[in-house]
Amino acid sequence: MSLPTLRRSLARNRNFARCISSSSSSDPQHSKTTSFGFQTIPENAKESMVKSVFDSVASKYDLMNDAMSMGVHRLWKDQFVGDLKPGRRGPMKCIDVAGGTGDIALRILDFAREKYADRETSVEVVDINEQMLKEGYRRFKKTMYHNTPQISFHEANAQSLPKEKFRDNSYDLYTIAFGIRNVTSIPAVLDEAYRVLKPGATFACLEFNKVDHPLLGTLYDQYSFHIIPLLGTILTGDRASYQYLVESIRKFPAQPNFAQMIRDAGFVTGKDIDGGAWTNLWGGVACVHTGVKI
Amino acid sequence: MALSPSRSQLLKIATSLVPTYGFTRETLSRSVLELPKDKAHSEPLSENAVSSLFGSRDYAKKTLIEAWLSEGITQMASAPSPSLGHVLHARLSYNEPVLHYLPEVSCSSYKSDSVAEMKNILQAFALLASPERALPPLDPRPALKHVSRIADEASYISGDDSAQLSWYTRRASLATIYSAAELHQFTSPGTAHAFLDSLLTGSSALKQSVDEVQLFSSYVLQSWKGILRSKGIL
Repeated sequence: MSLPTLRRSLARNRNFARCISSSSSSDPQHSKTTSFGFQTIPENAKESMVKSVFDSVASKYDLMNDAMSMGVHRLWKDQFVGDLKPGRRGPMKCIDVAGGTGDIALRILDFAREKYADRETSVEVVDINEQMLKEGYRRFKKTMYHNTPQISFHEANAQSLPKEKFRDNSYDLYTIAFGIRNVTSIPAVLDEAYRVLKPGATFACLEFNKVDHPLLGTLYDQYSFHIIPLLGTILTGDRASYQYLVESIRKFPAQPNFAQMIRDAGFVTGKDIDGGAWTNLWGGVACVHTGVKI
Repeated sequence: MALSPSRSQLLKIATSLVPTYGFTRETLSRSVLELPKDKAHSEPLSENAVSSLFGSRDYAKKTLIEAWLSEGITQMASAPSPSLGHVLHARLSYNEPVLHYLPEVSCSSYKSDSVAEMKNILQAFALLASPERALPPLDPRPALKHVSRIADEASYISGDDSAQLSWYTRRASLATIYSAAELHQFTSPGTAHAFLDSLLTGSSALKQSVDEVQLFSSYVLQSWKGILRSKGIL
């Protein structure tokens, strides 16, 4: 079912339209609800709806990222990986979650190779969406990492990684870039991240977040709600998916709240300031949160 | 799930490792090795982890230095007696373990080694004074904050009950005295305590003199007022 069709069927259902909670609730008379952009939907519907979005955008995901952010997303990802310095202290076993198209994985491997001549660092790319993984696999076929132990692709749910494949205390670095806002339960993802990381290992999340500056925030809102869906229509013919992407950014917890969620999962973070538990990029348009499993 | 150690716990452990490893990122990374047995790690933290918890590059070292200085303030309360002299001596003594950077230091080589080891403290203070942005080229605020905190804590522990203007003058005086004694310690660690004593003695004598001058001046002023009133000017 395409996203627009699914949205229309939900809009016709008055019970769902009356749900006013914007976060999961446990009203015994209604099923649990969560947000899908600005909509409130049943919790168990979110996964399929998000899947529809990414099935729709997968083939032109990079084009749209470039168009929406004017190429800036590349700088953010470069900084994200550059600050993590993979390979500096020897080979690392990394897991990149919601990393279907392989952007972060490729940067990790390139960084380790170019800076530290490290050809042993490995990245396991995990994504719930098969189409996104196919795009990533196709991209890696053009690189030297294809058919090497350094890269592998796995279809799995970040909220419940299969224990036999993703064992406890086994990874040195967990990254998730522009993916965590799409999950149904952020705490579940954080719990899984804590489980699979080794003691002393780092959790790093790159995500869109709240802009502090009022003028920049206004300009950013105007750009997000008017230009980006229009670009979605022009470039991919799918306004609704890009409308969701923009709305989902606004529903994501603010920097201090997400830092607290990371601590609630058991991680230790820096101080609750910019430059501590999180680092704002471009005034908070994007933000890197980190935590360490002690 | 058992509670994870907190960032402040790791910092506290790291401050106890400063005499061994100095004000370095290595000190911070080794803090996890000294956790209680059930939580201790087998390897130090990675660079990523140190940056994530304490800041990148020199910022992590600054964090450690500030934590060490804060620990010094806390240690002042454990002076043998709450008198002002004992408290300030205790704070000076807190600097001394960092002097003994090398494990084998003989009496004859103490001075030359201590100069090299004092460099660690000087570098630490230099790092605190170095600005995060280009201007000003040197930031005096961390040094002023450091001595002000010590003066305030020493006054509090010794039960100082100054009020109004004398509250500030008292603390400014103590900050100046301690600052001079600490600078003296950097160049001549062996005579630092004696120098502090001489400054404290001189300061109390100076205060007495200033008070007497103030009293005498008030008498002179009163007498002049009386003269002017008798002449009909006032």
